[in-house]
Amino acid sequence: MNKTARKYESAALADEGYWTSVSQAIRQEAVRLLEQGAVAGVVGYIAGRRTGTAMPVVAATPDQAKELIFSPACVNNLALYLTKAKKEVRAKGKLAIVAKGCDLRALAGLLGESQLKREDVYIIGIACAGVYGAHADRSQPLCDATIARKCRECTVREPTDTDLVAGTLPALPALEPLEAQELARLEAMTPQERWAFWKEHFSRCIRCLACRQICPFCFCEQCLCDRNRPQSVETTPRPAGNTAWHIVRAMHLAGRCGGCAECERVCPMDIPLNLLNRKMAKELKELYDYEAGLTPQEKGPLTEYKEDDDESFIK
Amino acid sequence: MSRIGVFVCHCGENISRTVDVEKVAAEAGRLFGVAYTCDYKYMCSDPGQNLLKKAVAEHKLEGIVVAACSPRMHEKTFRNAAKAAGVNPFLCEMANIREHCSWVHEDRDEATAKAIDIVTMMVERVKRNKKLQPITVPVTKKALIIGGGIAGIQSALDIADSGHQVVLVEREPSIGGHMAQLSETFPTLDCSQCIMTPKMVDVVNHPNITLHTYAEIEAVEGYIGNFQVKVRKKARSVDMAKCTGCGVCMAKCPQKKIPNSFDKNLGFRPAIYVPFPQAVPNTPVIDRENCTWFKTGKCGVCQKVCGPGAVDYTQEDEIVVEQVGAVVVATGFQLYDIGPKPAGSAIEGYGEFGYGTIPDVIDGLTFERLASASGPTGGKIVRPSDGAEPKSVVFVQCVGSRAREKGISYCSKICCMYTAKHTMLYKHKVHDGQAYVFFMDARTPGKGYDEFWRRSIEEEEAVYIRGMVSRLYQKGDKVVVMGSDVHIGVQVEIEADLVVLATAVQPREGADTLAQKLGISYDKYHFYSEAHAKLRPVECATAGIYLAGACQGPKDIPDTVSQASAAAAKVMTLFARNELEREPIVAKVNERFCVGCLACRKVCPYGAVEEKEIRDRSGNLIKVVAYVNPGVCGGCGTCQATCPSKSVELDGYTDEQIMAMIEAL
Ligand SMILES: Cc1cc2nc3c(=O)[nH]c(=O)nc-3n(C[C@H](O)[C@H](O)[C@H](O)COP(=O)(O)OP(=O)(O)OC[C@H]3O[C@@H](n4cnc5c(N)ncnc54)[C@H](O)[C@@H]3O)c2cc1C
Ligand code: SF4
Ligand code: SF4
Ligand code: SF4
Ligand code: SF4
Repeated sequence: MNKTARKYESAALADEGYWTSVSQAIRQEAVRLLEQGAVAGVVGYIAGRRTGTAMPVVAATPDQAKELIFSPACVNNLALYLTKAKKEVRAKGKLAIVAKGCDLRALAGLLGESQLKREDVYIIGIACAGVYGAHADRSQPLCDATIARKCRECTVREPTDTDLVAGTLPALPALEPLEAQELARLEAMTPQERWAFWKEHFSRCIRCLACRQICPFCFCEQCLCDRNRPQSVETTPRPAGNTAWHIVRAMHLAGRCGGCAECERVCPMDIPLNLLNRKMAKELKELYDYEAGLTPQEKGPLTEYKEDDDESFIK
Repeated sequence: MSRIGVFVCHCGENISRTVDVEKVAAEAGRLFGVAYTCDYKYMCSDPGQNLLKKAVAEHKLEGIVVAACSPRMHEKTFRNAAKAAGVNPFLCEMANIREHCSWVHEDRDEATAKAIDIVTMMVERVKRNKKLQPITVPVTKKALIIGGGIAGIQSALDIADSGHQVVLVEREPSIGGHMAQLSETFPTLDCSQCIMTPKMVDVVNHPNITLHTYAEIEAVEGYIGNFQVKVRKKARSVDMAKCTGCGVCMAKCPQKKIPNSFDKNLGFRPAIYVPFPQAVPNTPVIDRENCTWFKTGKCGVCQKVCGPGAVDYTQEDEIVVEQVGAVVVATGFQLYDIGPKPAGSAIEGYGEFGYGTIPDVIDGLTFERLASASGPTGGKIVRPSDGAEPKSVVFVQCVGSRAREKGISYCSKICCMYTAKHTMLYKHKVHDGQAYVFFMDARTPGKGYDEFWRRSIEEEEAVYIRGMVSRLYQKGDKVVVMGSDVHIGVQVEIEADLVVLATAVQPREGADTLAQKLGISYDKYHFYSEAHAKLRPVECATAGIYLAGACQGPKDIPDTVSQASAAAAKVMTLFARNELEREPIVAKVNERFCVGCLACRKVCPYGAVEEKEIRDRSGNLIKVVAYVNPGVCGGCGTCQATCPSKSVELDGYTDEQIMAMIEAL
């Protein structure tokens, strides 16, 4: 989106020792938990077949746990594996989970929305230096040029309320907040320009629904957008249905989305979904002083009945 | 369902004046699934309803759309007619072409087109309506009365006499309300205490009445027939079971100089007190703010002197839970305060009358206490400043009332009459005194009322000056009243010994908070709103809650008592049944799709949503879903709007129905 060419630094943000020590700490704890039978599985990452990749896994034995890693390629939000939608994972029993800051925010949301009980999950939090962005050149280390946008302005690097923290955070330089800049650019537009901006993006959506499948909060067993009696959202990728889908998505995630940006990462059409999410989050912060996912909250501003709710807008 | 009948009403000319009803009927006849249409002058009349019944039989109708007025007006009427004709009442819907169309439009063609759209939408909806069965809920035959003034007392006695249990909750240490403070009462001048106190005693002695004084409503849950009420009984510091009411404690309490608010601060009381000698119950309370023991931990005299050992400094507030089927709200009124107005008050106040700083400017209730035989002066009328007998008294009516610029536009209704009464009471006690009254109008409708008012002028020689008072100020030991006489168009100035302001009747402080607890509505002044100004004047829009007395609007005693008995009659009608039928417009959860996020539970204003576990045959938990208790659900639809997966829907208002209506446009 940045029109002017910008030079990105390629100096590594964290040295190799950091990644190894985090991986070590995860493995050690995972092996211990499995050996003691404290959990039935550990949701974490193992190295992918190609270098510079990683993939989610549910390690069920100490041997499998010895394979666990943490690297800049550990992009997935693992909280997804604990939602009810993934029944086969939950059916195994109490689980441990490796969680970055953004995964933790999702976990807090799931706890608040009755999808998870804290006592049913053991959380191995990560002091997280960041992960690769969607189109990063993975032959490079994690650096200004390769780090995900969301990580540039992350506020939850140090995990809280976990059972264990893996690793210690290296000193990190302040990075240019590209997401905030983009949001500011959007807010400066006239409503017409903004509408044109989104219309163009939405029109490219192919309705693969990858964004929905990857989102830890899209845990409905039957998404309303798949209903056909009555049909609320047209299912074919045409402008009306696309717009409806994106509005439903934004509204259903307002006050819940923790900003993991997984939706944006998996979108094959490069639609800036997290920009919309951030805008909604900002509105909630301004209107209700509410931020999703900082702690498990029983009620959010949009899911609460209060006798003294402001009704002045009802004329 | 494909055999729908559409009945288009003219409503006299209310609809047909702007809407071409024949055309609406004809167009409706073309709709797929409509088997019969007609139009008629008054569908709600007996012949109109018969027309509907006959059409159902002749054309084998399975669904009905009545295009007429608002469902609030006649939905029940037509659903009953449908039922009588053998059609499930919930297959009958109203298309509102009056309030939503003919009344708000002028262009006949456009209004007709809109009426056709409204009918088309309702036809599509009715096609998707389901036969619903009414829900029955048991009735708890016990009534809660809030407020123990004459209104609450009358309702309580009437209901209790009919054999039902009553719980009466009064905020003050004694029941009685304002009537206990009055001297003699218009229009017959009988002594208020003499007619009031026997009723108060009846309440406390009645086997069917449970009395909680010095108590307030903490929370109310539930619905008609089944309310759960939490009552906070404030710590009295005196054990009601032990106290014999001998009064030794009050006599011995060293704190003697606490202004008695019952006497409008004209007299004093000790820290352990009953507000007035005839109080019911006759058990004192300790005013902890002024009690030496509570302030310093020393004293304890009352405990020492109390024979039965009833004084208990450790008593704490107690919460009592009562199950009741009906609620009568009778919290009465308060008088407009002539003192300085708190910042932010919508009501202006009277700086020109000195904001209550002139000692010999008092309000009507203070005058009642002066004139009362059981008052602080034993019924002798004196000035607060020096205790002298006032030889000239100026009464000013409409202070606060009918004063739009001061924030209140309504008439307080009782002031004309009680001011007339005050002039008489004054003349009866101070024979050589002169009463003047500044008034805007004399409003005296009521049996014997105008005669009473005339008497004050013709026999008791009160001088009535039509006009307003612009200023009051102290001059020596007199209060100068500057006003105008609009009849002869001159400025008037009177040097008075005493000025009595007939201040406006206002709802009690905190009336809005109580309303929110009860879920009833109130007007901009916080008077409680009745369901219909003419036809349902004692019911609230919230089923099972009734109104009595001045909490609904300014009222005198006869009106208050009539309304209190009417409210009691409504409660008895409710209690005549063992079960109530409720409209089955309640939410239902689709357990297959519900993901148990319980967002619905968080937003439900009625607390109707519970958690439900679904288990397989061997008892393994499959999932947790939401469950709506149909007895509690108020049918508001909030959950439906909130549910992300559209797994909860209101019967009769399903998404399918609503979408079909939108698509019909
Ligand atoms: C100066 C004056 C003279 C009057 N003279 C006459 C007259 O001569 N003749 C006549 O017919 N009428 C007269 N009236 C009118 C008469 O006083 C009222 O009609 C009558 O008192 C109304 O009764 P009520 O029970 O509705 O209200 P109230 O008498 O105000 O009683 C309400 C009761 O509810 C209690 N309460 C309030 N809030 C709560 C709560 N939240 N919880 C529990 N309890 C609560 C109060 O403590 C009080 O006991 C006069 C009024 C005034 C001001
Ligand atoms: S992932 Fe992208 S293309 Fe696919 S549905 Fe979501 S926004 Fe559309
Ligand atoms: S909407 Fe996108 S950023 Fe938000 S929680 Fe879902 S996947 Fe993550
Ligand atoms: S909001 Fe919907 S999905 Fe969530 S618990 Fe209620 S009915 Fe179920
Ligand atoms: S419709 Fe839903 S939100 Fe409303 S009362 Fe019923 S269950 Fe509660």
